[in-house]
Formats: sequence, C-alpha cells, structure tokens
Amino acid sequence: MLGGILLVALIIMGVPLFVIIATSALLGFSSIDVDLSVIAIEIYRIVDTPILLAIPLFTLAGYVLGESKASERLVLLTDALLGWMPGGLAIVSLFACAFFTALTGASGATIIALGAILYPAMKQAGYEERFNLGLITSSGSLGLLFPPSIALILYGVIVQQMGIGVPVAIDDLFLAGLLPGLLMLLMLTVYSIYKSHQRPEIRRTPFSWPKLFKALRSSMWEIPMPFILIGGIYSGFFAISEAAAVAVMYVLIVEVVILREVAFNKLPEIMRDSMVLVGGVLVILGVSLASTNYLIDTEVPNRLFEFIRSHIDSKLTFLMLLNIFLLLLGMILDVFSALVIIVPLLLPIAIGYDIHPIHLGIIFLANMQIGYFTPPVGMNLFIASYRFHKPVTELYHATIPFMFILMAAVLVITYWPELTMYLVNNKN
Amino acid sequence: MNKRVTGFLGFINKLEDWFLILTLAVMVILAIAQIFFRNIFGEGVVWIDPLLRVLVLWVAIAGAVVATRNDNHIRIDFFTRYVSKKYIKYLQRSVYAFCIFICGLIAYHAVRFVQMDYEYNTIAFANVPAWLTELVIPIGFFMIALRYLLLFISPPEQENR
Repeated sequence: MLGGILLVALIIMGVPLFVIIATSALLGFSSIDVDLSVIAIEIYRIVDTPILLAIPLFTLAGYVLGESKASERLVLLTDALLGWMPGGLAIVSLFACAFFTALTGASGATIIALGAILYPAMKQAGYEERFNLGLITSSGSLGLLFPPSIALILYGVIVQQMGIGVPVAIDDLFLAGLLPGLLMLLMLTVYSIYKSHQRPEIRRTPFSWPKLFKALRSSMWEIPMPFILIGGIYSGFFAISEAAAVAVMYVLIVEVVILREVAFNKLPEIMRDSMVLVGGVLVILGVSLASTNYLIDTEVPNRLFEFIRSHIDSKLTFLMLLNIFLLLLGMILDVFSALVIIVPLLLPIAIGYDIHPIHLGIIFLANMQIGYFTPPVGMNLFIASYRFHKPVTELYHATIPFMFILMAAVLVITYWPELTMYLVNNKN
Repeated sequence: MNKRVTGFLGFINKLEDWFLILTLAVMVILAIAQIFFRNIFGEGVVWIDPLLRVLVLWVAIAGAVVATRNDNHIRIDFFTRYVSKKYIKYLQRSVYAFCIFICGLIAYHAVRFVQMDYEYNTIAFANVPAWLTELVIPIGFFMIALRYLLLFISPPEQENR
C-alpha cells in the first residue's frame, strides 16, 4: 500500500518510467526477501529473446529511410495512383502516411517528413485549413497496425515472455493488424471524400499514364522493399529478425550507395539517434521483466482478475471498459511504455474473459493510436504544432472529427474479433 | 565548469557515442552475414546468433546511457507542466537524486551478479565467459547514475511549458 502511494508520487513527479518500474521491482522483491541481484538477472534476460534483434534493425532502417527523399517519392507515387479521385489529395495523404509510419515506426517522423510536403500541397489545392491540419496530425500514427510495426513486435515479445500457453507469433500479429488497419484507412477515406464534396473548388489532378509511369520509375528502388520483406516472411524464407537485417541492408544500399541521398558520414549520427529511441524503450522492457516476474510470482494478475470478475461478468462490458481505459492510458503514455507496463497485467485478465491474445494486441494498439493525437498530451499534437507553427489548441479542434471516426473504427475492431482473426485463421 | 572538466565530458560523450555506433554496426554486419551464410552454405555460423542477442543488450544499455545525457528518458510529464518556474528546479533535483539512488542500487547489485558468474566461470556461448557479456549492465547503470549526477548539479531548462 505504502509502496503503491510512493509509485504514484513518483509518476506525478515525472520520474523516468524505467526508474519507477525498477523501483517497484526492487520494493517487491525485497518485501519477499529475494536477493536484489535478481534485477540484473532479469535485465540480462533481454539476451534470451532472439526476436528483439528486429527492433533496433527495423528502427535503424526507418531512420535512414526518413533521412532520404523516399517520402517525396512516396507522395508522387500515391498522387499518381489516387490523385484523380474526389478528395484525392486527402486520400493520398492518408495512404502515404500509413505506409510511411509502418516503415519508420510511429515516432513522429511521419509528420515531420510527409507533413512538410502534404500540408502546403493540400492548402494549395483548396482544402480547408482545419481539415488539412487534422488529417495530417491524425495520420501520423496511422501505420501502427501495419507490418513491420515495432509496437506489434514489442507486444509479441511481451506476450511470449509471459508464457501463457497460447502461441502468439509475430507474423500472425502482422497478419492480424492488416484488416483493422485497412478499416481505419477506409473510414477516413470515406470522410475525406465527403468533406471534399462540400468544397467543389478543390482541385483534382487528372489521372495520366505518363505521370504514373514517371512516379513508378522514380520510386523503382523503394517499391520492391515491402514485397521482399512481406513475401520473405510469409513464404518462410526468412524470420522476422532476418527480414529486419535485410531491410537495413536494402535501405543502406539504395539510399546511401545507389541514390546517395544519405551521406555516408551522416550515418553515425543517424545510428546514434535511432538507438537513443531503442535504448529508451528496451531499458524499460528490461526492468519490467523484473517487475512482471514479481507480479506473476505473487499472483497479482490473477487476483486482479478475480476482483474484476466479481464486479463485471459480461465480456461486452469488460471490452467497453477496456476501450475507455486504454483511451485514457493513451492520452498520458506513449505506446511503448504502455505496452510494457500494462500488457503483463491485462493479458491474464483478457484471457480470463476469453479474448484472444492477438485480438487484445490489436485492440490495444488501435486505442493507443488514437492516444497519439488525443489532448492534452498526445505526442503528435506537439510535433504538428511545432512543425506547422500552430498553437496546440488549434490542433485539438482540428483532430476531433478524426478522433471520433477512429473511435468508431476501434469499436468495430473490438466487437468484431473475426475482422482481426480472419487472416490469421485462414493463412493457408 | 572549467575547461578540463568540459574537455573530459566531451571525451566521455564521444566514447559513449562510438561504443553505441560500433556495437550497432557490428550487429548489422553480423546479422546480414548470417543470412548469407545460411543461404549459401546451408547453415549459419554457430556463435553469431548468441552474440547478436548479447549485442542487442549492449545496444539497449548504451542507448539508454546516451538517452540520459539530455534527460531523454520516457516519462509522464503531464503533471510537471503545471509546476511554476520557481519550484521546478527543486522538483528536478529531487527527481534526479532519486534516479541516482535507484540506478546506483541497480549498478551495485549488477556488480554482484557479474561477480557471481565470474566466480562460477559461467559460459555465455562458445568460449565467451558470461561475466564479460553481462559487464555492460553494471557499467551502463553506473554511467546513467553519473549522468543523473551531472543533471542534478546543473538541471536543464524545461521546454514546452
């Protein structure tokens, strides 16, 4: 009890999360007289998880890609493909952002890299300022459910660590995220078409084969990449961490050697910056291996489940409360720390309510994705505010319609598990 | 701060950066090499996979050390936004003091962990002793504690308020 109060106080004071989690583990283990060197032993368990290799590698590939002009070419290509549709440029933004976020990890890079091109372009085409801002800010986390989402990998790692008996393979998680992610894209696309109907003055770009051909040519090096990665993983040709190594090699060859958009002597800096992000996340994972172990030893998740069970008996009510809880969580925590802290507590409870771990992961990330631009502290709000020189309050207003649309999508994803599980169950 | 101290700190910064960058570079090269070995010779090199997993730990800890330099660790700063300028330095200092204590404690217990594996001659993989691969934990957390000490001495200005 006293320990609990201390931890809450530490959170409010703004103590780094890895220190708080380490504190909880140290307090817990010392209360049951376990030698405290257990904390180092648990951190060392990072070494027992081969799949973790994928996280630094994919992050590095994403950072290098973010430094190149791949984002511009991606916009050219999606524009040539989709620009002729009503609301064309808005749809281009949605697809380009989703694609780029999936490749680079949802670290705000999308808003910085793509926003610089899409925001002025949409403004010029005649889109309403508020719609424009809202669209780009909320699209910055849109790829969270698409492979090779680092958040999905991390979820898979945490679930595997807990040894719950139900196998959760990372490639299954990738499959599971596809349809829910597409649903979100589709709903936002419909909204964009509706919005552009209200403003007939919005300019469209007519479809032209030469333009498409030119765009295809300019992206000819990047286009094969998703096919190589996804094809490689699902044909069983390489494992996820090997796919990550291939991604790094491919991106380095294309952007540094062939296109020369990223200077070789800039690589050390990119490598360092990308690993600051990875170190920040993995050190939280490391100490949380210890705290999770303590929680499981003392059966906290089971007792929590018993407690919740005695108050809520229907699965539907539980799911509803879960959504509210995750939305609130997403407002104050970034997706990585939320995963590491909450999933170990949540997973046994969700399994108790007969929710498949894969479905839980997709629900979790779908909610967290909204949290990226939910006031007051959604990270992408601040990045967009900084990038477009707009007050954060203006962005609060701008993102509201998008928030409601994605919440509706989250409800569909939550109460229709088949959408998530369909590809996983029918992969052969 | 006098010149000698800043010069020394600059050296430590470089050292940390290059340890992180080189570890990552080795990781990338070995991971790619292993794919070639596996597909050309039919099987991978035995020691590469366990070494790669150790390198992930090293990159994680080294990355965390570098993240501490500019106080970049993930935290919930929702509440501290509302603390007035007058008191923020006190709050920062108490947070850093607490971090020094906890990271120091982890470093101390990690030293004991490494010592145990040293005495028992535990082998990590191939002929590599486990203590060597584990050494990054005590050193890393010691460096993190040291970084928090520097932050304690001169707390950075808080942005975004």
